[in-house]
Amino acid sequence: MTTPEPDLRDALLAAVPSLRAFAISLSGQVDRADDLVQDTLLRALSNLHRFERGTNLNAWLFTILRNLFHSEYRKRRREVEDPDGSYAGRLKVQPEQGARLDFEDFRSALARLPPDQREALLLVGASGFSYEEAANICGCAVGTIKSRVNRARFRLASLLNVDDVEDLGPDSMTRAALQSTV
Amino acid sequence: MTGEKGNKLARVIPETSLSIKLESDPKLDSTSQKRIGDQLRAMYDELVQQPVPDRFRTLLDMLDKKDRETSA
Repeated sequence: MTTPEPDLRDALLAAVPSLRAFAISLSGQVDRADDLVQDTLLRALSNLHRFERGTNLNAWLFTILRNLFHSEYRKRRREVEDPDGSYAGRLKVQPEQGARLDFEDFRSALARLPPDQREALLLVGASGFSYEEAANICGCAVGTIKSRVNRARFRLASLLNVDDVEDLGPDSMTRAALQSTV
Repeated sequence: MTGEKGNKLARVIPETSLSIKLESDPKLDSTSQKRIGDQLRAMYDELVQQPVPDRFRTLLDMLDKKDRETSA
């Protein structure tokens, strides 16, 4: 294993919050996400010679994490497939304080997207990667990423009934309660 | 207030054209797209801001130490 230089160690540590956010959003489970991040760091350290200095360390780490997630996903495909949303229901990633209910709906909707769409949307729409970077991370064409992101947004809008909701404030709960009585 | 289901300020492409649109690329109008984007980033930022679990710090420290020992 290559020696992690102090600045590299710091760079890896600095990448952890965004790797975790990506892993949690991708897998929907904090424990599994943390295992993924740990495996990513270990794999990165043992493959440091493959990393081109001066290129985007985060993009490289995201690529590793994404590939680990997919090889694991293929193994446990049956377990993870979730047409009725029970997997989505297990998304309990809220911190104790400041828990916001309006994210719950969003998380469940996100969990119902096909994995390739979910990861494309997360990379471009949340992690701040360009379409080109996301395409590199996923090993596909830029056009494919664009298409997946569009589909993901469209699907989320349908799942969340974005067209019916005027705002996403606390009022939406009252409105949902009222609507369910109609 | 509650009966405004038909009043679509931001709209998804109507159901009738759904199947056709899914063949090509579906497109949201910019208002809906912004809403989805804002919510996504808000959710994600909350995750990014969570404190880093100790296991990662420990892991990297441990590797650091081990490497110093083996190279000494």
